[in-house]
Amino acid sequence: MTLSIPHQQRLPLLIALLGFLFLGVFLLWPLAQVFSASLLDSEGAHLTFANYTRMLGRPYYRDAIVNTLSIGAGATLLTTLLSVPFAFALARLPVAGKPAVQALASMPLVLPSFVSAYAIVLLLGNAGIVTRWLHDHGLAFGSIYGAGGIILVYALTLYPYVLLPTVAAFKAVDVSMEEAAQGLGSSPARAVSSVILPIVLPAILAGALLVFIETLENFGVPFVLAEDMPIFAVEAFKLFIGETAANPASAGVLGVLLILTTVLVLLVQRRFLSRRRFATHARRTPPLLQAGLGLRFAATLYCWAIVLAALVPFFAIVVLSFMEFRGPVLHDHFSFGNFAGFYDKAMRPLANTLIFASLAAFCVTLVGVPIGYVVTRWRSGTATVLDVVATLPFAVAGTVLAIGFVVSFNSGWLILTGGPLILVLAYTVRKVPFAVRSSSAIVHQIDVSLEEASVSLGRSPLQTFLRIVVPLMVGGILSGVVLTWVTVASELSATVVLYSGNWRTLTVVMFQSLEGGGAGLATAAATALILVTLLPIALLYRLVRRYELG
Amino acid sequence: MAGIHVKGASRTFGSVRAVDNVDLEVGEGEFFTLLGPSGCGKTTLLRMIAGFCELDAGEISFGDKRIDKLSAYRRDVGMVFQNYAVFPNLTVAGNVAYGLKARRVPAAEIGAQVEAALGMVQLAGYGERWPHQLSGGQLQRVAIARALVIRPQVLLFDEPLSNLDARLRVSMRAEIRQLQKSLGITAVYVTHDQEEAMSVSDRIGLMNHGRLEQVGVPSEIYRQPATRFAAEFMGTTNLLEARQLGLAAPVTLSLRPEALRLAEDAPPEWPQLAGTLATVEMLGPLTRLDVALASGTVLRIALLDVPQRALQAGAAVTVAYDPARLVIVP
Repeated sequence: MTLSIPHQQRLPLLIALLGFLFLGVFLLWPLAQVFSASLLDSEGAHLTFANYTRMLGRPYYRDAIVNTLSIGAGATLLTTLLSVPFAFALARLPVAGKPAVQALASMPLVLPSFVSAYAIVLLLGNAGIVTRWLHDHGLAFGSIYGAGGIILVYALTLYPYVLLPTVAAFKAVDVSMEEAAQGLGSSPARAVSSVILPIVLPAILAGALLVFIETLENFGVPFVLAEDMPIFAVEAFKLFIGETAANPASAGVLGVLLILTTVLVLLVQRRFLSRRRFATHARRTPPLLQAGLGLRFAATLYCWAIVLAALVPFFAIVVLSFMEFRGPVLHDHFSFGNFAGFYDKAMRPLANTLIFASLAAFCVTLVGVPIGYVVTRWRSGTATVLDVVATLPFAVAGTVLAIGFVVSFNSGWLILTGGPLILVLAYTVRKVPFAVRSSSAIVHQIDVSLEEASVSLGRSPLQTFLRIVVPLMVGGILSGVVLTWVTVASELSATVVLYSGNWRTLTVVMFQSLEGGGAGLATAAATALILVTLLPIALLYRLVRRYELG
Repeated sequence: MAGIHVKGASRTFGSVRAVDNVDLEVGEGEFFTLLGPSGCGKTTLLRMIAGFCELDAGEISFGDKRIDKLSAYRRDVGMVFQNYAVFPNLTVAGNVAYGLKARRVPAAEIGAQVEAALGMVQLAGYGERWPHQLSGGQLQRVAIARALVIRPQVLLFDEPLSNLDARLRVSMRAEIRQLQKSLGITAVYVTHDQEEAMSVSDRIGLMNHGRLEQVGVPSEIYRQPATRFAAEFMGTTNLLEARQLGLAAPVTLSLRPEALRLAEDAPPEWPQLAGTLATVEMLGPLTRLDVALASGTVLRIALLDVPQRALQAGAAVTVAYDPARLVIVP
């Protein structure tokens, strides 16, 4: 049969087949299970919308929808308002210590957001250090719990999603456009608002959209900060794990609604962005604007304030982990007690985290890089479908995917629940879109004729891929591996559904001590988690630096 | 070494017939050039031979072996690309050895063969260098050495000189031809530069709209263009209706600019035409004239530089043409 397939298409077709096989079993099948759970009656025999009408009929779940969407919108708005001036300052104004600001500004991308939420609780919660200190001085402020606190944490942890693309966009604006606007009589301020802003708007919107989707699927932050407020991802988890009885039908309804919302948002964005795309061909980076001392000072203050405010919670939790807790109550003297407890209880979870992250990073690379190669090099309908399917996990909340995993792999021909493999597979599926995107971007940079040269010299397409393409991609692949590793290590939303017995991870240890009030262990676990995420990044950074210098 | 036989090759992209029922015979050891404007299908035809482009119809053989269904990596061709395509992750020697390793040549022989191939392209001793240390011309030499060292049945060149500067192009094309002849490997060379094509080729296949317009040795294509397109693409020409020259036949004629001279320098038997000098363009060795005849027809003329004669636009002149060089084009 293979003989009838044109020889140039055999390798891409093979990769696409394997990709579809993997994504079919570990993405589409579990999602189909969630969908069918939500659409079947209690006997599982008949199609029904009863689950939907029942869930949507209850004010509690309607509130969950409204809360989730309005918190998402509020966080997106706040993040955008904070990030756009920040981006402009980084791109066009003199800011003291700019390289440091730039390096620090990308750190929230890899640090776990629920650790930040927890730190905020320890500092500003009802019994928080700052709260009590203010209280002792006769000052009080509103509760940090609820929508306000969640939005604050989202803004502080998700702002790089808007900041980084917007900085790039501001830098990509061709100076001559600005000069043209001013030549036509616009003031510099008017040139910015009328010419530059429309050009950078697509980048801002794309970033804002990422923020919105992250808030929809985030589990840890609302879990820590929502108190009684119902939130989608948390409610889906509660319904599924259920204190009384597990309820896959209701959890399925929430999961499906969550997926549909995300898909809808993505479609709206595609329509909107595809209509307004301004191509600029900047040949030189626009120069820094002339700024007076006042503006210069304000810009510096603004940038540093955001960067530091985002990192203070992480710093605080590291400091707090060296203090003594009795139950949830903090005593302000130095202690290694938390780490002693950590050593007793959490070494196995630490090892699990390291092993799972390594295995997942390996699998993501194995699955994502070939798919990224095929969707870039092979122009065909099959490749487009593969691209869409491989991007799908991006729109699926971790909790929902995990519920699908449990329903699908609890019985039948493939039983994975209760073991470690289910976690690794769920992580792999969740991170595949990022590997596909990043490797596709690298493949774009590799000239096709290099591959053709190799083939004409007698190497088969597979050997060419391994001997020429992969070595040329290796730098990008390596940073992808590190990023996957780091984000998997701090994954919570799928983990809390899928872990079992001995296969707890660091995030689960934190999660459980939050529930059980073991704040000391939680801070120690958080510190360990911060180290686990920052060390590989620092190593990668050094490696890249050495490579660039050498 | 083998000849290349193309029979009825066709390929359509969307609604464009990129290669349209092409028949072609390239002899053993021949240097054959596909020449034509961009989009004429010459590169598609070359890529069909290399195995990077499927045929919708037709077949291709090397000698008596049909290869069009064979994977590209089994075809035993050496290909030189426009943008060099030198592997940046391998040294110069690593690049040249790449095809030898793929053919499982014993390691002991590879070193000597690589050094010999580098010597052929004037890069002896460059083996340890990295591609990013080389100039464009040197990179293309590496690419040529890499294609030659495997002694392929067929050598393919896809506009190999178009990224090089003009002076280097002229010297490299001579070298390429000399290498090909000394090794006797059948070569197909794609270019859009008619001067380059004429200088390197044994024969030229002139392509337009996916079809071969004319195949022949360079002098024949230049002197006896079979079509209007061939006459115009191969250098400059005057395309004239016969009556514009005062001839009775209802045909179109091609008359090359160098077949015209000022009447006083021409043999007396050449027919003469009176006109006015419209423009005079001094190009160094050549002087280009546009002469407007009384009928309004403008003739392009190319003269070797004549220092003693002052030519001024606006002056009345009489020109004469060589009647033997009138070519009827359909």
